[in-house]
Amino acid sequence: MSEVATLQLIGLMIVGSGTLILLLIRAQFARVIGFVGIVLGLFTLVALSVPQMASLPPIEEKFDIATVKTPTDMAAIGQKIFFSKGQCALCHTIGPSESARCPDLKGIGAKLSREFLFESLTQPQAYIYLDYRHGGQPKEYPARMPYINKNPIGLSKNEILSVIAFLQQMSGEPISVNVAELEVPGQTLVAPVKVAQSGPVDVVQAH
Amino acid sequence: MQQQGGWIQRLLRAVKGHGGTLSGLLWAVGLLSLPALAFGADVAPAAATEYRDIPYIGSRNLVWVVAQLHLLLAGFVLGVPIFAWLCEVVAWKTGEKRYDKLAKEFTKLLTSAYATTALFGGILLFLLISFYPKLMNYLTDIFFPSFIVYCLLFLVETATLYLYWYGWDAMQDGGKKKFHIFLGFMLNFFAFFIMIVPNSWATFQASPVVLAEGSDLARAWAATWNPTWWPVNIHRLIANVVLGGYICGAYAGIRYLSARNAEERDHYDWMGYVGNFIGVFGLLPLPFAGYWLMREVYQYNQQMGITLMGGFLSWLFILQAMLIGVLFLGSNYYFWLGITYRIPGSELKYRKPMLSMLLILLLCLGVWMTPHSLVASLEEARKMGGTHHPLLGVFGVMSAKMTVSNLMILVTFMSFIMYWRAGKEETAGWAKAAKAVMNSLLVLAGIAVVVLGVWGYFVPAIVRINYFSTSQVLIVLFVMLTITPLTALLLKSAKTTTEMVWGKMPPRAGYALVLNAVMVILLMTLMGYARSSSRVHWHVYGVMRDSSPYAFSPALGYAAAIMALNTFIFCMITAFIFWVATMSDKAKAPHS
Repeated sequence: MSEVATLQLIGLMIVGSGTLILLLIRAQFARVIGFVGIVLGLFTLVALSVPQMASLPPIEEKFDIATVKTPTDMAAIGQKIFFSKGQCALCHTIGPSESARCPDLKGIGAKLSREFLFESLTQPQAYIYLDYRHGGQPKEYPARMPYINKNPIGLSKNEILSVIAFLQQMSGEPISVNVAELEVPGQTLVAPVKVAQSGPVDVVQAH
Repeated sequence: MQQQGGWIQRLLRAVKGHGGTLSGLLWAVGLLSLPALAFGADVAPAAATEYRDIPYIGSRNLVWVVAQLHLLLAGFVLGVPIFAWLCEVVAWKTGEKRYDKLAKEFTKLLTSAYATTALFGGILLFLLISFYPKLMNYLTDIFFPSFIVYCLLFLVETATLYLYWYGWDAMQDGGKKKFHIFLGFMLNFFAFFIMIVPNSWATFQASPVVLAEGSDLARAWAATWNPTWWPVNIHRLIANVVLGGYICGAYAGIRYLSARNAEERDHYDWMGYVGNFIGVFGLLPLPFAGYWLMREVYQYNQQMGITLMGGFLSWLFILQAMLIGVLFLGSNYYFWLGITYRIPGSELKYRKPMLSMLLILLLCLGVWMTPHSLVASLEEARKMGGTHHPLLGVFGVMSAKMTVSNLMILVTFMSFIMYWRAGKEETAGWAKAAKAVMNSLLVLAGIAVVVLGVWGYFVPAIVRINYFSTSQVLIVLFVMLTITPLTALLLKSAKTTTEMVWGKMPPRAGYALVLNAVMVILLMTLMGYARSSSRVHWHVYGVMRDSSPYAFSPALGYAAAIMALNTFIFCMITAFIFWVATMSDKAKAPHS
């Protein structure tokens, strides 16, 4: 039996017990306990009936440079990062959407150079895209682009290059990112921000 | 996609085939061995240990339950003094002794409730130090100065509580009463700081501000004054008043149901009325504080805001809507029962408005609970052209939800005013004009809220969030802040046409009060889960990552089971506190 089914069974049993108490017992305090049981059981059953989504920590895409042979391999890794650790899909869509909080990324790899894409990810306030969808004066999008190379997202340079490769491939463009550009871990300091591993942390988190 | 704690299965598997005795024994051994686990689980140096765990239950679940109970008890012991002090001031100002008696009755609970809260706080601290040494070490390094402030606050709060409670009878007359009321104010003043200091630790985890350099004090102060600190402080302060009011209501409801004579019925009926009144009084502005908090979350970090409102936690807000909706319905229902049973002759007069209000509340609740994306099979989704229903999809967006939540507040406010005015006849010369102004204000506000809500569909989100939603909130607040003093002024010279009859409420009124209290407690547990889960896999968002096996946030169903468990335990603890505190009174009371 799955965990959801087990919890549903427990919930039903609590609601049933509460109903029996209300029907059979006359002591007021016991009846109130039965009533509270019914309410809590029903609440749990309703919560179990909505989509059960857990939030898992992002899977670290391991860069084994030896296994990344072609830019297409990089794009495949970039695609995974786009939908997981990078959290890009939280705000961006690939294709038009009325409710989009950020620019649509369909064909973005063809519209922008790889240098511009890199800058948009690492210095998002350098050039701000405006929303022209509603006519009149263009407006800023409601969601502000975060620094992708800093925490809490904190993509490494290799990961950012892979996302760019994915965006270019998705737009039908030749991938201009080269495998040779990937940094071998241990040779170069990749992460621009220190992450707390132990002891006091000296990171400035701006408002 | 899905990952659950799995502890239920593990526990069931573990005890399978060994009967209930073994199951009970395992629980008992598990609980008794907790201190041993805390102190002796690891022989390695403390600095090297990042996490510890316990079998079957899991460290996260245990901390979850204890932290939640501590928070609920803290809400209770911070909410009750506000409630008691307000009652004492009313008694002092109006000369109605029963308010003073009510205030004293609730203050009596504080001594035992305070000790229980501190006990759970102590357990929580030990568990955190044992299970999360790395995180606690980090937080201690930053917040060390505020820990000392917190201890000092506890000392003065305890001293003030002793003076306030033990001095009650001795400080009843003249200047002494004034001093007693001042003590009550100071009790709440210190309690407020006792609440906001730990709030800074919790909010820091969600929206950290970390200085790389500076003195201990400067670093602690920067971390304390983080972006979500004040919104949470205000939200919790109001929520504590609501909790205090509704728990008083629930206590009165239970005592009313088991009352043995007319005197008890009268007293507890009246107490239920006061509890519900204060609960609703706090409930009305509470959504605005919540709105401010969400705005600050979005301002601080868009991803966190989207995770909450549009990400994996989006369904949580449907549950929240359900709970708030039931709370609004329960509170209104109690008002309507009061009008029907306590004010003879009012039933016919107010039946139509009550039915209209019920209809509006149900419609609003239906809209509020409409999800943005529907749970649909592939076939159904194809037919709809996506997960958005062609008709219902219109109600699933924020513009609709903001509109209906404001309308529900307006309707509840109308119930509140209707109940207040029932059985009275205004005698002031300007009464007619005042009533016309109040009615027009209510109607115009309702229309304005709807118009802004519909208009919100046709403007960019940023315009809707920054101007339209804010305007809706301000309009409703304006109505409340205008009509409340106007009604109070009007009723000052009003003539009572029908005296309120106490003790005639049907038993379902008692259950409505219990339901309201359970809804508030569930809401607090639900939003606690939301606040904690919004940090996703971070202990301190963006600064210290959670690398424990519990770095995931469980799905809603599993979380709801823990919330229900916490609510039940809290209700039982509160019932125990009430029982202990009133034991001597029962012994003294003459047997009927």
